[in-house]
Amino acid sequence: MLFFSYFKDLVGQEVTVELKNDLEIRGTLHSVDQYLNIKLENTHVVDQDKFPHMLSVRNCFIRGSVVRYVQLPPDGVDVDLLHDAARREARGG
Amino acid sequence: MAFGLREFSLRAGDGSPSLDSSNGEELMHVQPSVAVALGNRSVESPGTLYITSRKLIWLSDVDVAKGYAVDFLSITLHAVSRDPQTYSSPCIYTQIEVVEDEEDEDVTESTGVLDLSKIREMRLVPSDSTQLNTLFDVFCECAEPNPEPVEGDTILLLSFNSVFASLTIYMFVLLYVFSEEEEDNGHNWVFSADQMVIGGGGEEDGEWPISQSPTSVIGHSNGDESIAQPMLELQISDERFDDAEEMVHESETRDH
Repeated sequence: MLFFSYFKDLVGQEVTVELKNDLEIRGTLHSVDQYLNIKLENTHVVDQDKFPHMLSVRNCFIRGSVVRYVQLPPDGVDVDLLHDAARREARGG
Repeated sequence: MAFGLREFSLRAGDGSPSLDSSNGEELMHVQPSVAVALGNRSVESPGTLYITSRKLIWLSDVDVAKGYAVDFLSITLHAVSRDPQTYSSPCIYTQIEVVEDEEDEDVTESTGVLDLSKIREMRLVPSDSTQLNTLFDVFCECAEPNPEPVEGDTILLLSFNSVFASLTIYMFVLLYVFSEEEEDNGHNWVFSADQMVIGGGGEEDGEWPISQSPTSVIGHSNGDESIAQPMLELQISDERFDDAEEMVHESETRDH
């Protein structure tokens, strides 16, 4: 649940989601659910040659299981806090 | 459960698709007058889009043998696409997860027959484009209750939501954590106090050291000593673990 809570706090910020098929989509984080399904708004595809059809897409829903990375805004991350929280979550505490 | 896009032609008497209601599948939305475009192929129409709680089904209105279906589990992305320069009509654009096959880029040219399981993109074009936002929302609503079926998550859920003894919860979480790190040992894990008893006494593994301690059996997991150490640390004498007594009894009767 840690990252679900974490992403909820990031709603409204700009992120880049990289999918397992190498597609990278930049957009504003609109919402996230417990499975880390992500809805992005004002999307722009980073590499437009691979999926030209994505050019016209402005809002999308991305299945959580297909996300490889989510690139976060540097000033949106407190790395130490996140690190500690992740360690606690792994310990079950 | 099938992976990727596939043909679908099972229809009920009224022309609607046959659903797997025994599995809880329900029809969520019907959108008539929808054309479908698979990959780079030209659009096919007229047809009707059926959105169920498990999958998308498109059935041709004119050819009863023609239809396509894809589980929400395989739909990796969906979006509304409105740019007339990218595609002539506003549509719902979807990406479908396919099993990667490096040599295969042409879905039709290799054999002349369309291989649906290799289709990565699908567009659904309703004749009524004002319905696009509704369709997008229905897709979102149906995607959410179709998460990945992963065993690890189940264990974690148990540990957070159950009312088991706190020690059991702690052990389950640790088991989950260690199963992530030890790739081959997932099958050796025990998930109940009873299993620990059975696993402790009946193995023909000659490497098991004899010990009078009721804690040691649980600490030795089929010869993998690296896991044993943290498991031992978990042991506290909790009277709810009846096997403590049984362990003592078994140790006494063992012939080695």
